[in-house]
Amino acid sequence: MKLLEYEAKHLLKTAHIPVPMSRLIKLGDTLPTPLVLKSQVPTGGRGKAGGIIMIDKPEDLQPAIDKLLKLEIKGFTPKTLLAEEKLNIKKELYLSILIDRWSAGIKIFAHKNGGVEVEENTGFTSWSIEKKSQAEAIGQQLADYYELPGQTFALQDLTENFYDCFVKNDATLIEINPLILTEEENLVAGDCKMTLDDAASFRHVWNFEEKPAEVNFVTINPEGNTATIANGAGLAMATVDAAYQAGLKPTNFLDIGGGANEATLLKAFERIVKYKNLQAIIINIFAGITRADEVAKAVVAAKKQINNLPPLFIRLAGTNYEAAEKILTENNVALLPNLESALHAAKEVIHD
Amino acid sequence: MTNLFEGKNVIVQGMTGAHGSFQTKAMLAAGTNVIAGVTPGKQGQEIEGVKVYDSIKAIQETNQVDITVICVPAPYAKAAILEAINAKIPLIIIITEGIPVHDMLAVNKALKGSQSTLLGPNSPGALLPGINKLGIIPANMSRRGNAAIVSRSGTLTYETMAGLTDKGIGQKYVIGIGGDIIHGMGYKECLELFENDEEVDQIILIGEIGGQDEIEAAHYIKGCVTKPVFAYIAGHHAPEGIQLGHAGAILGSALESADNKTKILAESGVKTAGSITELITFIASARG
Repeated sequence: MKLLEYEAKHLLKTAHIPVPMSRLIKLGDTLPTPLVLKSQVPTGGRGKAGGIIMIDKPEDLQPAIDKLLKLEIKGFTPKTLLAEEKLNIKKELYLSILIDRWSAGIKIFAHKNGGVEVEENTGFTSWSIEKKSQAEAIGQQLADYYELPGQTFALQDLTENFYDCFVKNDATLIEINPLILTEEENLVAGDCKMTLDDAASFRHVWNFEEKPAEVNFVTINPEGNTATIANGAGLAMATVDAAYQAGLKPTNFLDIGGGANEATLLKAFERIVKYKNLQAIIINIFAGITRADEVAKAVVAAKKQINNLPPLFIRLAGTNYEAAEKILTENNVALLPNLESALHAAKEVIHD
Repeated sequence: MTNLFEGKNVIVQGMTGAHGSFQTKAMLAAGTNVIAGVTPGKQGQEIEGVKVYDSIKAIQETNQVDITVICVPAPYAKAAILEAINAKIPLIIIITEGIPVHDMLAVNKALKGSQSTLLGPNSPGALLPGINKLGIIPANMSRRGNAAIVSRSGTLTYETMAGLTDKGIGQKYVIGIGGDIIHGMGYKECLELFENDEEVDQIILIGEIGGQDEIEAAHYIKGCVTKPVFAYIAGHHAPEGIQLGHAGAILGSALESADNKTKILAESGVKTAGSITELITFIASARG
């Protein structure tokens, strides 16, 4: 789950990492100037899109708030605006901590050039970190790398708190970009991106604006003609691949998951029938934890309950297949022997 | 070296749960020697005639444990895995899906220098038809033989296995390494096992978008695998930056795409297929 800047900075502040003084602000609120007004949208490239405004004079504040609340950035309009103190920037750096798939561990990345262009930079320096006690040495090396010997203590503290913040919040990424060195020689987190591990939500109270991204139902082509339902992420991906190969236009990726039952499947059907060009539904289930008879029951229920259900092309195999076959046969629902015959049969009914 | 997957005494952690008991029954039906189950606080219960204990230690007082299959819910998985590592169980198979990444990092730390090998998490386990069913891979769709499958996806594994069985091609190994970012055994360890097992004559690798495990596997195959390898990578039409089901199935860069992985595997001498059906056709025709 991706956090908005103000939410991420709140977690940094809780972990004793310096952030600018700030307030959430709405129309009608007054604050002393100068300040920086920032749109809180869950996407990058906000600065370039005009989502950050420097306010020097008090009379400019209300028009700027009004403007930002209406400004759409990459399809997002903000619910929240953040007003921050204006910092006297001496230097902009980059610092992040993340789960590194390649080494199956935690890594800290640094770059001497922070700021908006960092995606295009190469030449990051990185450190693996396994425990908090390594933070002191890494902080020292960061000071050398940034060529800021006067900030050694600050960077040691920062690294230690950064690691703590990462672990305690079950984060998978925290990026401070830029990490600002002010004219007053303070290190402050200028902007922050943070991603938390949805799987860890059971041990946190998370109340953030963005909800966890849906991972099991993804629209690929809303104009497509064939919906796909499969179980297991791999099989769902493979079903989409095979539908493309067969010349169909798949609308979606849908993994109904292990142990899916009648209720989950009915919900899936209800969402799928909303695609406007939908002409066929491919069901490709290989039952392991899922039981094929549950799927069969759901199919029968869907046929009875959902109006305008396009033709279903069903391929089932695995656990409780015989029971499923019996249920479907009793209800006059055809079963196809494999995915290819299901795709082929679907192609026959599609007319665009 | 003794083959970890042929270990005799198997336990199930989380046996009293809905999935745990269902899969215990299926494992017993396939002939797996499930000697006991573990669920803290449920000692004295029986599942399918198998006794449940509070801890692994309680089982080890009277029995050696070779393999554990872990089906406990994600919030308790870390503790269950650490218990298995501490109990020095040689092979730990984690079926549980949705274990927090930081918990798996802690598990990885405990694993270093231990005597245990990990398979999973978010893995369907391993099936050696006629020898051992360790996890949830349906045995009735398999048949004993000489092919070996390694996969990141559960259902795609079953699909491939069933397709081979249909063609009369049996399997020595069917192994799911799991779809999570942080996991135990990878392609490399499985490829090494298959290469060194004289009974294996064809190797099948199934991958998906996200991460670089398949690329690492391709390099290993080029350098160290002499047996024929067949591969299919799922997700050729995956949108960038969006997770598809598995925690690890997210396209971070073009490097991690199905197209690129397929290309690199092909360059490493692997016969690559565009779909599971095509994959099975290739394997069958290679046998003649």
